Amino acid sequence: MKYDYVIETEDLAKYYYVGGTVVKALDGVNVKIVRGEYVSIVGPSGSGKTTLFNMIGGLEKPSKGRVYIDGVDIARLDAYELAWLRCRKIGYIFQTFNLIPVLTALENVALPMIFAGVPREERIKRAKRLLELVGLGDRLHHKPGELSAGQQQRVAIARALANNPAIILADEPTGNLDLHTGREIIGLLKKLNQERGVTIMAATHDIKMIDVSDKIIWIRDGKVEKIGTSKDFKAKIVEE
Amino acid sequence: MFVILDAHVGGSEVVPPHERKTAEKIHLPFIEAFHISIENIRIRFTRSLITLSSVVLGIAFLVFLLTTANVLQVYSELTGTDIPLQSNQYWLVGISLLVCAVSITNSMLIAVYERYKEIGTMKCLGALNSHILMLFLIESALIGLIGGVLGFVLGELIAIISHGMRLGFDVIFSVPMLQVLLNFVLSVFMAITISIIATIYPAYRAANANPAEALRFEI
Repeated sequence: MKYDYVIETEDLAKYYYVGGTVVKALDGVNVKIVRGEYVSIVGPSGSGKTTLFNMIGGLEKPSKGRVYIDGVDIARLDAYELAWLRCRKIGYIFQTFNLIPVLTALENVALPMIFAGVPREERIKRAKRLLELVGLGDRLHHKPGELSAGQQQRVAIARALANNPAIILADEPTGNLDLHTGREIIGLLKKLNQERGVTIMAATHDIKMIDVSDKIIWIRDGKVEKIGTSKDFKAKIVEE
Repeated sequence: MFVILDAHVGGSEVVPPHERKTAEKIHLPFIEAFHISIENIRIRFTRSLITLSSVVLGIAFLVFLLTTANVLQVYSELTGTDIPLQSNQYWLVGISLLVCAVSITNSMLIAVYERYKEIGTMKCLGALNSHILMLFLIESALIGLIGGVLGFVLGELIAIISHGMRLGFDVIFSVPMLQVLLNFVLSVFMAITISIIATIYPAYRAANANPAEALRFEI
Protein backbone atom coordinates (compact mmCIF):
# COMPACT_ATOMS: atom_id res chain seq x y z
CA MET A 1 0.00 0.00 0.00
CA LYS A 2 1.40 3.40 -0.98
CA TYR A 3 0.26 6.76 0.17
CA ASP A 4 0.15 9.85 -1.98
CA TYR A 5 1.24 12.09 0.84
CA VAL A 6 4.34 11.44 2.88
CA ILE A 7 3.25 14.08 5.40
CA GLU A 8 -0.30 15.12 6.03
CA THR A 9 -1.69 17.24 8.84
CA GLU A 10 -5.33 17.58 9.73
CA ASP A 11 -6.53 20.62 11.68
CA LEU A 12 -3.28 20.60 13.61
CA ALA A 13 -3.32 22.90 16.64
CA LYS A 14 -1.06 23.58 19.58
CA TYR A 15 -2.14 25.74 22.49
CA TYR A 16 0.10 26.85 25.30
CA TYR A 17 -1.24 28.21 28.53
CA VAL A 18 0.87 31.12 29.66
CA GLY A 19 -0.19 32.97 32.76
CA GLY A 20 -3.85 32.01 32.42
CA THR A 21 -4.18 33.02 28.78
CA VAL A 22 -4.16 30.70 25.80
CA VAL A 23 -1.43 31.21 23.22
CA LYS A 24 -2.27 29.57 19.92
CA ALA A 25 1.11 28.57 18.49
CA LEU A 26 -0.68 26.64 15.75
CA ASP A 27 -4.34 26.95 14.97
CA GLY A 28 -5.80 24.50 12.50
CA VAL A 29 -3.03 23.77 10.02
CA ASN A 30 -3.74 21.52 7.03
CA VAL A 31 -0.79 20.68 4.83
CA LYS A 32 -0.18 17.85 2.40
CA ILE A 33 3.33 17.06 1.26
CA VAL A 34 3.92 14.78 -1.71
CA ARG A 35 6.83 12.33 -1.68
CA GLY A 36 10.02 13.86 -3.07
CA GLU A 37 8.88 17.44 -2.75
CA TYR A 38 11.10 20.25 -1.52
CA VAL A 39 8.89 22.40 0.65
CA SER A 40 9.77 25.66 2.37
CA ILE A 41 7.82 26.94 5.32
CA VAL A 42 8.06 30.70 5.61
CA GLY A 43 6.65 33.12 8.09
CA PRO A 44 7.75 35.68 10.66
CA SER A 45 9.46 34.39 13.79
CA GLY A 46 6.92 33.24 16.33
CA SER A 47 4.49 32.26 13.59
CA GLY A 48 4.57 28.60 14.61
CA LYS A 49 7.12 27.13 12.20
CA THR A 50 9.14 25.32 14.85
CA THR A 51 6.00 24.12 16.59
CA LEU A 52 4.82 22.64 13.30
CA PHE A 53 8.16 20.88 12.88
CA ASN A 54 8.14 19.50 16.37
CA MET A 55 4.71 18.04 15.84
CA ILE A 56 5.43 16.55 12.43
CA GLY A 57 8.64 15.10 13.85
CA GLY A 58 6.77 13.50 16.74
CA LEU A 59 8.67 15.55 19.32
CA GLU A 60 5.62 17.26 20.74
CA LYS A 61 2.00 16.20 21.00
CA PRO A 62 -0.60 18.42 19.33
CA SER A 63 -3.45 19.88 21.39
CA LYS A 64 -5.82 19.06 18.55
CA GLY A 65 -5.69 17.50 15.13
CA ARG A 66 -3.61 14.77 13.57
CA VAL A 67 -0.30 14.17 11.84
CA TYR A 68 0.00 11.37 9.32
CA ILE A 69 3.39 10.16 8.22
CA ASP A 70 2.99 7.78 5.28
CA GLY A 71 -0.66 7.52 6.16
CA VAL A 72 0.00 6.49 9.78
CA ASP A 73 -1.47 8.63 12.53
CA ILE A 74 1.55 9.20 14.76
CA ALA A 75 -0.61 9.90 17.82
CA ARG A 76 -1.36 6.18 17.81
CA LEU A 77 2.28 5.16 18.08
CA ASP A 78 3.69 4.18 21.47
CA ALA A 79 6.99 5.58 22.82
CA TYR A 80 8.91 2.76 21.23
CA GLU A 81 7.38 3.17 17.79
CA LEU A 82 7.81 6.91 18.00
CA ALA A 83 11.54 6.46 18.67
CA TRP A 84 11.61 4.14 15.69
CA LEU A 85 9.93 6.80 13.54
CA ARG A 86 12.42 9.46 14.61
CA CYS A 87 15.29 7.07 14.03
CA ARG A 88 14.48 5.67 10.60
CA LYS A 89 11.83 7.74 8.98
CA ILE A 90 12.82 11.32 9.73
CA GLY A 91 16.13 13.13 9.63
CA TYR A 92 16.42 16.36 11.59
CA ILE A 93 18.57 19.36 10.81
CA PHE A 94 18.67 22.26 13.26
CA GLN A 95 19.69 25.88 13.11
CA THR A 96 22.21 25.28 15.89
CA PHE A 97 23.50 22.00 14.33
CA ASN A 98 23.12 20.09 17.62
CA LEU A 99 25.98 17.68 17.11
CA ILE A 100 27.08 15.60 20.08
CA PRO A 101 30.21 17.51 21.18
CA VAL A 102 32.04 14.53 22.70
CA LEU A 103 31.83 12.43 19.53
CA THR A 104 33.81 12.80 16.30
CA ALA A 105 32.14 13.65 12.99
CA LEU A 106 32.19 9.97 12.06
CA GLU A 107 30.69 8.90 15.39
CA ASN A 108 28.01 11.59 15.17
CA VAL A 109 26.92 10.30 11.78
CA ALA A 110 27.08 6.69 12.99
CA LEU A 111 24.98 7.33 16.12
CA PRO A 112 21.52 7.03 14.52
CA MET A 113 22.74 3.81 12.89
CA ILE A 114 23.67 2.41 16.31
CA PHE A 115 20.09 2.99 17.41
CA ALA A 116 18.87 1.37 14.21
CA GLY A 117 20.98 -1.72 14.90
CA VAL A 118 23.31 -1.44 11.92
CA PRO A 119 26.41 -3.64 12.49
CA ARG A 120 29.62 -1.80 13.31
CA GLU A 121 31.53 -2.41 10.06
CA GLU A 122 28.57 -1.38 7.95
CA ARG A 123 27.99 1.65 10.15
CA ILE A 124 31.50 2.99 9.77
CA LYS A 125 31.43 2.35 6.03
CA ARG A 126 28.13 4.15 5.57
CA ALA A 127 29.10 7.07 7.83
CA LYS A 128 32.32 7.54 5.86
CA ARG A 129 30.42 7.49 2.59
CA LEU A 130 27.90 10.04 3.86
CA LEU A 131 30.63 12.37 5.09
CA GLU A 132 32.33 12.09 1.69
CA LEU A 133 29.00 12.89 0.08
CA VAL A 134 28.75 16.15 2.03
CA GLY A 135 32.38 16.95 1.24
CA LEU A 136 33.96 16.14 4.61
CA GLY A 137 35.90 13.01 3.70
CA ASP A 138 39.03 14.54 5.26
CA ARG A 139 37.38 15.54 8.57
CA LEU A 140 36.19 12.15 9.79
CA HIS A 141 37.91 12.22 13.15
CA HIS A 142 37.40 15.86 14.07
CA LYS A 143 35.16 16.78 16.97
CA PRO A 144 32.42 19.36 16.31
CA GLY A 145 34.45 22.00 18.19
CA GLU A 146 37.22 21.62 15.64
CA LEU A 147 34.93 22.24 12.67
CA SER A 148 33.61 25.47 11.18
CA ALA A 149 29.90 26.27 11.34
CA GLY A 150 29.39 25.21 7.73
CA GLN A 151 31.26 21.97 8.29
CA GLN A 152 29.21 21.24 11.41
CA GLN A 153 26.02 21.70 9.44
CA ARG A 154 27.36 19.32 6.79
CA VAL A 155 27.98 16.71 9.49
CA ALA A 156 24.43 17.30 10.70
CA ILE A 157 23.12 16.73 7.17
CA ALA A 158 25.12 13.52 6.88
CA ARG A 159 23.72 12.43 10.24
CA ALA A 160 20.18 13.25 9.12
CA LEU A 161 20.70 10.92 6.14
CA ALA A 162 22.18 8.10 8.20
CA ASN A 163 19.20 5.75 8.17
CA ASN A 164 17.94 6.68 4.72
CA PRO A 165 14.97 8.65 5.98
CA ALA A 166 11.99 9.43 3.76
CA ILE A 167 11.75 12.93 5.20
CA ILE A 168 14.24 15.57 6.24
CA LEU A 169 12.94 18.27 8.56
CA ALA A 170 15.21 21.28 8.58
CA ASP A 171 14.51 24.13 10.96
CA GLU A 172 16.30 27.26 9.69
CA PRO A 173 19.30 25.23 8.46
CA THR A 174 21.09 28.33 7.15
CA GLY A 175 20.12 30.61 10.05
CA ASN A 176 23.55 30.50 11.68
CA LEU A 177 25.62 30.47 8.50
CA ASP A 178 27.12 33.21 6.36
CA LEU A 179 25.78 33.88 2.88
CA HIS A 180 28.29 31.75 0.99
CA THR A 181 28.14 28.75 3.33
CA GLY A 182 24.36 29.02 3.45
CA ARG A 183 24.24 28.79 -0.33
CA GLU A 184 26.44 25.68 -0.27
CA ILE A 185 24.19 24.01 2.29
CA ILE A 186 21.10 24.82 0.24
CA GLY A 187 22.78 23.41 -2.86
CA LEU A 188 23.58 20.25 -0.95
CA LEU A 189 20.01 19.83 0.31
CA LYS A 190 18.62 20.39 -3.18
CA LYS A 191 21.05 17.84 -4.60
CA LEU A 192 20.00 15.26 -2.01
CA ASN A 193 16.38 16.02 -2.78
CA GLN A 194 16.89 15.46 -6.49
CA GLU A 195 19.30 12.54 -6.41
CA ARG A 196 17.91 10.55 -3.50
CA GLY A 197 14.27 11.56 -3.74
CA VAL A 198 14.18 12.47 -0.07
CA THR A 199 11.33 14.78 0.87
CA ILE A 200 12.63 17.99 2.38
CA MET A 201 10.63 20.31 4.56
CA ALA A 202 12.57 23.37 5.63
CA ALA A 203 11.60 26.37 7.69
CA THR A 204 13.42 29.42 6.46
CA HIS A 205 13.74 33.16 6.13
CA ASP A 206 16.31 32.62 3.45
CA ILE A 207 15.28 33.75 -0.02
CA LYS A 208 17.95 31.51 -1.63
CA MET A 209 16.25 28.54 -0.05
CA ILE A 210 12.85 29.60 -1.36
CA ASP A 211 14.18 29.74 -4.92
CA VAL A 212 14.91 26.02 -4.99
CA SER A 213 11.59 24.96 -3.43
CA ASP A 214 8.83 23.11 -5.25
CA LYS A 215 6.25 24.45 -2.87
CA ILE A 216 6.10 27.25 -0.33
CA ILE A 217 3.81 27.36 2.64
CA TRP A 218 3.26 30.71 4.32
CA ILE A 219 2.41 30.60 7.97
CA ARG A 220 1.23 33.53 10.02
CA ASP A 221 -0.12 33.51 13.56
CA GLY A 222 -0.35 29.73 13.59
CA LYS A 223 -2.39 29.51 10.42
CA VAL A 224 -1.56 28.65 6.83
CA GLU A 225 -1.92 31.89 4.96
CA LYS A 226 -1.07 30.71 1.49
CA ILE A 227 0.44 27.80 -0.38
CA GLY A 228 2.23 28.47 -3.63
CA THR A 229 5.43 28.39 -5.68
CA SER A 230 8.52 30.61 -5.56
CA LYS A 231 6.98 32.79 -8.32
CA ASP A 232 4.03 33.51 -6.05
CA PHE A 233 6.45 34.33 -3.30
CA LYS A 234 8.21 36.96 -5.38
CA ALA A 235 4.88 38.42 -6.40
CA LYS A 236 3.90 38.56 -2.78
CA ILE A 237 7.04 40.42 -1.79
CA VAL A 238 6.40 42.98 -4.51
CA GLU A 239 2.81 43.26 -3.33
CA GLU A 240 3.82 43.97 0.22
CA MET B 1 -1.17 -0.01 16.62
CA PHE B 2 1.05 -0.01 13.58
CA VAL B 3 4.66 0.52 12.81
CA ILE B 4 6.13 1.62 9.57
CA LEU B 5 8.73 -0.68 8.13
CA ASP B 6 10.83 0.73 5.40
CA ALA B 7 13.61 -0.71 3.36
CA HIS B 8 14.59 2.25 1.26
CA VAL B 9 13.56 5.81 0.81
CA GLY B 10 9.96 5.90 -0.21
CA GLY B 11 9.39 2.17 0.12
CA SER B 12 7.49 2.03 3.36
CA GLU B 13 4.83 -0.34 4.51
CA VAL B 14 2.47 -0.40 7.43
CA VAL B 15 2.85 -3.61 9.40
CA PRO B 16 0.86 -4.69 12.44
CA PRO B 17 2.92 -5.16 15.65
CA HIS B 18 2.78 -8.97 15.72
CA GLU B 19 4.50 -9.13 12.35
CA ARG B 20 7.26 -6.81 13.43
CA LYS B 21 10.75 -8.24 13.03
CA THR B 22 13.14 -8.23 15.95
CA ALA B 23 15.77 -6.73 13.66
CA GLU B 24 13.64 -3.60 13.50
CA LYS B 25 14.19 -2.82 17.18
CA ILE B 26 15.86 0.24 18.58
CA HIS B 27 19.29 -0.55 20.01
CA LEU B 28 22.07 0.88 22.07
CA PRO B 29 24.61 -1.89 22.71
CA PHE B 30 26.37 -1.65 26.06
CA ILE B 31 29.78 -1.27 24.46
CA GLU B 32 28.65 1.79 22.48
CA ALA B 33 27.00 3.34 25.53
CA PHE B 34 30.21 2.67 27.44
CA HIS B 35 32.25 4.43 24.78
CA ILE B 36 29.99 7.51 24.86
CA SER B 37 30.14 7.61 28.67
CA ILE B 38 33.95 7.38 28.67
CA GLU B 39 34.11 10.24 26.16
CA ASN B 40 31.73 12.27 28.32
CA ILE B 41 33.99 11.81 31.33
CA ARG B 42 37.13 12.54 29.32
CA ILE B 43 35.93 15.61 27.45
CA ARG B 44 34.11 17.19 30.36
CA PHE B 45 37.10 16.60 32.55
CA THR B 46 36.58 19.44 35.03
CA ARG B 47 33.02 18.42 35.81
CA SER B 48 34.06 14.78 36.14
CA LEU B 49 36.84 15.85 38.48
CA ILE B 50 34.41 17.70 40.76
CA THR B 51 32.12 14.68 40.94
CA LEU B 52 35.12 12.42 41.40
CA SER B 53 36.61 14.44 44.22
CA SER B 54 33.53 14.03 46.40
CA VAL B 55 33.73 10.25 45.95
CA VAL B 56 37.45 10.22 46.65
CA LEU B 57 37.13 12.22 49.87
CA GLY B 58 34.22 10.18 51.24
CA ILE B 59 35.89 6.87 50.47
CA ALA B 60 39.29 8.05 51.75
CA PHE B 61 37.69 8.78 55.10
CA LEU B 62 36.01 5.37 55.14
CA VAL B 63 39.30 3.62 54.31
CA PHE B 64 41.18 5.66 56.88
CA LEU B 65 38.74 4.54 59.53
CA LEU B 66 38.77 0.88 58.46
CA THR B 67 42.58 0.84 58.40
CA THR B 68 42.73 2.58 61.78
CA ALA B 69 40.53 -0.14 63.25
CA ASN B 70 42.81 -2.82 61.76
CA VAL B 71 45.96 -1.14 62.99
CA LEU B 72 44.63 -0.73 66.53
CA GLN B 73 43.53 -4.37 66.52
CA VAL B 74 47.03 -5.49 65.51
CA TYR B 75 48.60 -3.07 68.02
CA SER B 76 46.59 -4.46 70.93
CA GLU B 77 47.49 -8.02 69.89
CA LEU B 78 51.19 -7.14 69.74
CA THR B 79 51.51 -5.03 72.89
CA GLY B 80 48.49 -5.98 74.99
CA THR B 81 47.45 -2.34 75.35
CA ASP B 82 44.07 -1.37 74.04
CA ILE B 83 43.47 1.96 72.29
CA PRO B 84 39.70 2.05 71.78
CA LEU B 85 38.41 3.49 68.53
CA GLN B 86 36.00 6.27 69.27
CA SER B 87 32.54 5.08 68.27
CA ASN B 88 31.46 8.51 67.05
CA GLN B 89 33.89 8.09 64.16
CA TYR B 90 31.52 5.55 62.62
CA TRP B 91 28.83 8.20 62.66
CA LEU B 92 31.19 10.63 61.06
CA VAL B 93 32.03 8.26 58.23
CA GLY B 94 28.32 7.62 57.65
CA ILE B 95 27.65 11.33 57.44
CA SER B 96 30.60 11.92 55.16
CA LEU B 97 29.37 9.24 52.76
CA LEU B 98 25.93 10.86 52.80
CA VAL B 99 27.46 14.24 52.00
CA CYS B 100 29.39 12.56 49.23
CA ALA B 101 26.16 11.10 47.79
CA VAL B 102 24.38 14.45 47.94
CA SER B 103 27.20 16.21 46.16
CA ILE B 104 27.24 13.56 43.43
CA THR B 105 23.51 14.07 42.93
CA ASN B 106 24.05 17.81 42.77
CA SER B 107 26.91 17.54 40.33
CA MET B 108 25.04 15.08 38.10
CA LEU B 109 21.94 17.30 38.06
CA ILE B 110 24.04 20.13 36.72
CA ALA B 111 25.59 17.73 34.22
CA VAL B 112 22.08 16.80 33.04
CA TYR B 113 21.17 20.44 32.44
CA GLU B 114 24.47 21.12 30.70
CA ARG B 115 23.60 18.34 28.29
CA TYR B 116 19.88 18.96 28.05
CA LYS B 117 20.06 19.91 24.39
CA GLU B 118 22.21 16.90 23.65
CA ILE B 119 19.66 14.66 25.33
CA GLY B 120 16.95 16.21 23.16
CA THR B 121 19.08 15.59 20.08
CA MET B 122 19.69 11.97 21.01
CA LYS B 123 15.96 11.47 21.37
CA CYS B 124 15.46 13.00 17.93
CA LEU B 125 17.87 10.44 16.55
CA GLY B 126 15.87 7.60 18.06
CA ALA B 127 17.24 7.12 21.59
CA LEU B 128 14.79 5.58 24.07
CA ASN B 129 14.42 6.87 27.62
CA SER B 130 16.22 3.76 28.83
CA HIS B 131 19.24 4.59 26.66
CA ILE B 132 19.64 8.02 28.23
CA LEU B 133 19.27 6.46 31.67
CA MET B 134 21.93 3.91 30.80
CA LEU B 135 24.40 6.57 29.61
CA PHE B 136 24.23 8.48 32.89
CA LEU B 137 24.34 5.37 35.08
CA ILE B 138 27.39 3.95 33.27
CA GLU B 139 29.10 7.31 33.67
CA SER B 140 28.41 7.43 37.39
CA ALA B 141 29.45 3.80 37.88
CA LEU B 142 32.76 4.62 36.19
CA ILE B 143 33.24 7.70 38.36
CA GLY B 144 32.42 5.52 41.37
CA LEU B 145 35.01 2.95 40.29
CA ILE B 146 37.78 5.49 39.73
CA GLY B 147 36.82 7.43 42.88
CA GLY B 148 36.76 4.22 44.91
CA VAL B 149 40.27 3.21 43.83
CA LEU B 150 41.73 6.70 44.31
CA GLY B 151 39.92 7.12 47.63
CA PHE B 152 41.33 3.83 48.82
CA VAL B 153 44.87 4.85 47.91
CA LEU B 154 44.49 8.26 49.59
CA GLY B 155 42.88 6.91 52.77
CA GLU B 156 45.42 4.12 53.04
CA LEU B 157 48.36 6.52 52.58
CA ILE B 158 47.09 8.92 55.24
CA ALA B 159 46.44 6.03 57.65
CA ILE B 160 49.88 4.48 57.09
CA ILE B 161 51.71 7.78 57.53
CA SER B 162 49.79 9.07 60.54
CA HIS B 163 49.63 5.76 62.46
CA GLY B 164 53.11 4.75 61.37
CA MET B 165 54.56 7.91 62.91
CA ARG B 166 52.61 7.35 66.12
CA LEU B 167 52.74 3.57 66.61
CA GLY B 168 55.70 2.53 64.44
CA PHE B 169 55.66 1.19 60.90
CA ASP B 170 56.22 -2.43 61.98
CA VAL B 171 52.71 -2.37 63.47
CA ILE B 172 51.25 -1.08 60.21
CA PHE B 173 52.88 -3.80 58.15
CA SER B 174 51.67 -6.49 60.51
CA VAL B 175 48.11 -5.89 59.31
CA PRO B 176 47.22 -8.99 57.25
CA MET B 177 47.19 -8.46 53.48
CA LEU B 178 43.81 -10.18 53.24
CA GLN B 179 42.34 -7.48 55.49
CA VAL B 180 43.71 -4.76 53.22
CA LEU B 181 42.29 -6.51 50.20
CA LEU B 182 38.92 -6.79 51.95
CA ASN B 183 38.97 -3.05 52.68
CA PHE B 184 39.80 -2.38 49.04
CA VAL B 185 36.88 -4.45 47.76
CA LEU B 186 34.52 -2.89 50.29
CA SER B 187 35.54 0.68 49.49
CA VAL B 188 35.27 0.23 45.71
CA PHE B 189 31.93 -1.51 46.10
CA MET B 190 30.66 1.28 48.36
CA ALA B 191 31.91 3.96 45.96
CA ILE B 192 30.14 2.43 42.94
CA THR B 193 26.93 1.80 44.88
CA ILE B 194 26.75 5.30 46.33
CA SER B 195 27.58 6.81 42.96
CA ILE B 196 24.84 4.88 41.17
CA ILE B 197 22.20 5.51 43.84
CA ALA B 198 23.04 9.22 43.85
CA THR B 199 22.66 9.39 40.06
CA ILE B 200 19.27 7.66 39.80
CA TYR B 201 17.29 10.87 40.23
CA PRO B 202 19.33 13.05 37.82
CA ALA B 203 19.41 10.24 35.24
CA TYR B 204 15.66 9.78 35.56
CA ARG B 205 15.15 13.50 34.98
CA ALA B 206 17.32 13.32 31.87
CA ALA B 207 15.61 10.21 30.53
CA ASN B 208 12.15 11.72 30.83
CA ALA B 209 13.04 15.02 29.21
CA ASN B 210 10.56 16.18 26.61
CA PRO B 211 12.61 16.29 23.39
CA ALA B 212 11.00 19.48 22.02
CA GLU B 213 11.60 21.27 25.31
CA ALA B 214 15.13 19.93 25.59
CA LEU B 215 15.96 21.21 22.11
CA ARG B 216 14.75 24.69 23.01
CA PHE B 217 16.85 24.69 26.15
CA GLU B 218 19.70 27.19 26.28
CA ILE B 219 22.07 27.46 29.20
